[in-house]
Amino acid sequence: MTFESFVALRYLAASRKRAHVALISTISVLGLAVGVAALIISLALLSGFQDRIREQMAERSAHVVVSPVRGDRLPDPEAVRRALTALPGVLSVEPAIEGRGWLSDASGRATLPIRFRNLPKESERIVAGDTNVPSARLSSTAASRLDVTVGSLVRVLSTHTRLSPIGPIPIEILVRVASIRRGSALEKSPDLELSESTARLLTGMSSGSRAFEARLADPDRAEIAARSVAETLGPVYRVQTWRDLNAPLAFALRLEKVVIFATVALVILVAALNIVSNIALLVVEKKRDLGVLTSLGATPGALARVYLMLGAAIGGLGTAGGITVGVLASALLDRFHIVPLPSDVYLFSHVPFAVHPGEVAIVALFAFATALAAAVLPARAAARLAPAEAVRLSR
Amino acid sequence: MSPQAIRAEHLSKTYAGEGAPVTVFSDLSFDLEPGVFAAVMGPSGVGKSTLLHLLGGIDRPDSGRVEIFGQSLEDLPPRERARFRNERIGFVFQFHHLLPEFTAEENVSMPHRIAGLSSEEALARARDMLVRVGLAERGDHRPRALSGGEQQRVAIARALARGPSLLLADEPTGNLDVDSAAAVFDLLEELHRERGMTTVLVTHNPDLAKRCDKIFAMSREGIRSATGLSGQG
Repeated sequence: MTFESFVALRYLAASRKRAHVALISTISVLGLAVGVAALIISLALLSGFQDRIREQMAERSAHVVVSPVRGDRLPDPEAVRRALTALPGVLSVEPAIEGRGWLSDASGRATLPIRFRNLPKESERIVAGDTNVPSARLSSTAASRLDVTVGSLVRVLSTHTRLSPIGPIPIEILVRVASIRRGSALEKSPDLELSESTARLLTGMSSGSRAFEARLADPDRAEIAARSVAETLGPVYRVQTWRDLNAPLAFALRLEKVVIFATVALVILVAALNIVSNIALLVVEKKRDLGVLTSLGATPGALARVYLMLGAAIGGLGTAGGITVGVLASALLDRFHIVPLPSDVYLFSHVPFAVHPGEVAIVALFAFATALAAAVLPARAAARLAPAEAVRLSR
Repeated sequence: MSPQAIRAEHLSKTYAGEGAPVTVFSDLSFDLEPGVFAAVMGPSGVGKSTLLHLLGGIDRPDSGRVEIFGQSLEDLPPRERARFRNERIGFVFQFHHLLPEFTAEENVSMPHRIAGLSSEEALARARDMLVRVGLAERGDHRPRALSGGEQQRVAIARALARGPSLLLADEPTGNLDVDSAAAVFDLLEELHRERGMTTVLVTHNPDLAKRCDKIFAMSREGIRSATGLSGQG
């Protein structure tokens, strides 16, 4: 153990026996611990939400989407399908057949502008059944606005037209509501989902597609997959990943985390002020000792390091305590669903907490560095002390 | 020709107090040969302690220079000056100034720790030194558990821990009863002879001063040998 750490640790241990120093030291350590714990819990809360949102994004979005750079149809849909199908770990490749129109109940009273698109093949069983009238899945918002339920018939009027003896007229079909889907603010889900054939009927697109979408076993490999598809297909195609498609939301979530970090980190800065006063008090109290240590050959730098180590010790204790409390509290809050949410309003039944080791490391580093920085000012004062004066005045 | 143990030339020192600046001394010169046990006497306030602080390099003169064994303290950068103090100069203060949080042997080990010795080595050497000053059994006691005489003996052990060539003692017996003062002085004298050090002892006690090799009288006018002029202010 170096001379500096030997003296610093003894001062810290001995301060327990002097009530006023002990109180201020305890406040310093607790203040820092509270700040660290608050920061870890806040970040765990945000990470919990973000992880769940990300999971849902990955679950409900297509992972790789190929669309034309110009025009509304893929120049060579088969080439796109082949390129996507050749991807390692691909689960499905589907054309995107979508359009806009109006929806009304069978009587044609209420009318609602809607977006419609085809369901993935694997989900088409939802709308299978009646062969005469096609079935569809309707969003809960549209269902409530039209006041329809499962089994009701609704009329879809597409913006696309077909030729008739009297000229072009909008394509119109009657569909049965096979199921109602609870919508989510996170996904750009269409109001009406139909089988591919019905969607083609409504868009008048008997073949081809305006885009192809692929789902992967591992959504985290979407970027690599997208790069490989872009290389295969060339510059006439735009290849996007689910992260690109949800970039504004991801940015908002990241920004939220940064803002919360900056706000809650103020607690740590306030705790650092306690550390400044605590160590400054110790410098004043130990003025005579500093003079004596100088007479024994201690350099000003060594005396400064004694107080920097005190800052490091207080910082280390506070940070370790804060991490323990923060991580434990986050784990308990998540494990026992301590903060419930109304599941009919939110996507989740409880507030999720997720502790990310990287974030804990950043918080620990920040708190420790702040505590150390707080010790710099009193440490410099200790180094500048006039030893003869300290020895003379302390008789 | 070996250098003087102490060569202090034309020293002046003024303190900026709360009121007008206080000039402690101006143009003070003081030489001392190696191996001498010198006593410095004089009324309070003439700057005896200040002189020791300047000689030990824990304070700087406003003008003049101090050489210890031929080494000018002014010429040394702070780090080297601290090392020089650690290795060549020992301080004993009137009020022992032991560090209260540390045991006697930890106090004595402190100069070794400052020099970078390991804890074990520093403590082993400190124990040997405590044996030499007759406090082998008191090593693990905190200063407040020791008597005044014992505290001062620990302070002497600490000052001599690194085997300095120069010992500066500022009224080391001034706060002790007659018996303890005599015992501490005896110890200082013994160690001085045994180690061949140069010792400067500030004291108000004429009986103790008489036992020293040389006596210097310090006054507002300067410092002079009580038996003949050593230097003049």
